[in-house]
Amino acid sequence: MMTRHMITAGAALFLLTVLFTSCSTLPAIRSLDAAGTQAAAERCRRPFLDAPHRFVHAIEAGIPERAMGTVLGITLFDPPSGIVRSAILTLEGFVLFDARYDKGVEVYRAVPPFDAPRFGENMIADIRLIFLAPQGRLLLAGTLENGAIACRYEDPRGQTVDVIVRRDDAWEIGTYGNHNEPLRRVEAFSVNNRIPEAVALTGFLTVDYKLRMTLISAEPVSPEDVKKP
Amino acid sequence: MTTIWLRHKRGVFLAAMLLLCFPMPGRAASWEEVQKEAAKITSINARFTQSKHMNILARPLVSQGRFYFQAPDSVRWEYTSPVKSILLMNRGEIKRYTLGSRGLVEDATGSLQSMQVVLREISQWSRGRFTKNEHFSATLKWGKEPKIILAPKEKGMAKMISRIVISLSSDRPGVLESVAIFENEGNHTLFAFTDVAINVPLDESLFRKP
Repeated sequence: MMTRHMITAGAALFLLTVLFTSCSTLPAIRSLDAAGTQAAAERCRRPFLDAPHRFVHAIEAGIPERAMGTVLGITLFDPPSGIVRSAILTLEGFVLFDARYDKGVEVYRAVPPFDAPRFGENMIADIRLIFLAPQGRLLLAGTLENGAIACRYEDPRGQTVDVIVRRDDAWEIGTYGNHNEPLRRVEAFSVNNRIPEAVALTGFLTVDYKLRMTLISAEPVSPEDVKKP
Repeated sequence: MTTIWLRHKRGVFLAAMLLLCFPMPGRAASWEEVQKEAAKITSINARFTQSKHMNILARPLVSQGRFYFQAPDSVRWEYTSPVKSILLMNRGEIKRYTLGSRGLVEDATGSLQSMQVVLREISQWSRGRFTKNEHFSATLKWGKEPKIILAPKEKGMAKMISRIVISLSSDRPGVLESVAIFENEGNHTLFAFTDVAINVPLDESLFRKP
């Protein structure tokens, strides 16, 4: 027969377990000498193009381990200014979502379910995470145990952003909250001339979600192309 | 309620796209003749090129594929590039298959609910009944380049689709040249057709199997 004391102890153990597992530890980054740190920091910029580009992707979107739907995504971004333009279309060409970010998100069109509260902000945050170099302070640059180059940033909101670049140029980005809980993970595969053939993003927000983006086209554009409304 | 309405509109967009399945008479002078000519169509087999025009694109985003229609309402709408996708409509049942990271899988996201609307629209259009459509008012413009222009009746619909322009072949009665769906300024989708074969026998499995 369980006593009240045993139930309390059990509940405390459960809470401790939950707390322990939710406060994950960040990947261990080994420090390098000054020259190595400088080189690692530079290599961590490699996933992020310096000039404005337009990307078109086929995007499989859904909840992990569940059926996914496929849409087309058009993304324009200008790294120097941080301006982003994004449109999502059905395969038949119907525009479901169209928005622009320039210090704030302006949604031009949003058809359900793309009109959900904060969808535009989260969508733009995902795009900025994938295509633009992390903002904020570089905390650490070094290597992981497997030899990949890794850099850790603290973004202006206090979140941790890890950028990992492997020898074959494939890369990974992880973002973590104040308790090191994972928020988003981005993986890039088959990278040619800094442009990945596929990108997978997993979000661990209120509802977990997954995007798999397969490249259709990538081309440089002028800053004006991105800036025009 | 809003969601249903917008799904409905998205369905109408698809229905407009599927207008292509129903060739129009090139030389008809009245809606009665349109209906008369439409009744003669039993099947269609054609290639299509879909060009998406947006002001954020320097060039149109081009998709290609093939479609098949068997009267009264069986459709196979197949994209071959840039994403392989097959929409099947057969005896009131609608399925979509898309090639992705998991192979060719059936779409189970619920978006096909909008296709119920499509079927209803198609049943009207396939009989040439443009004038009785609850969403669009139709205008015939005959001349060297004959056109049917569909304009939305409701404001809500007009926010999503401003007009649809169906261009008819002037020298080949019963054949569509293109359909342009205008969403808003600087944003439209053009469907153009080639190798159009009308009233040729089609294998029934085309409408059942991806």
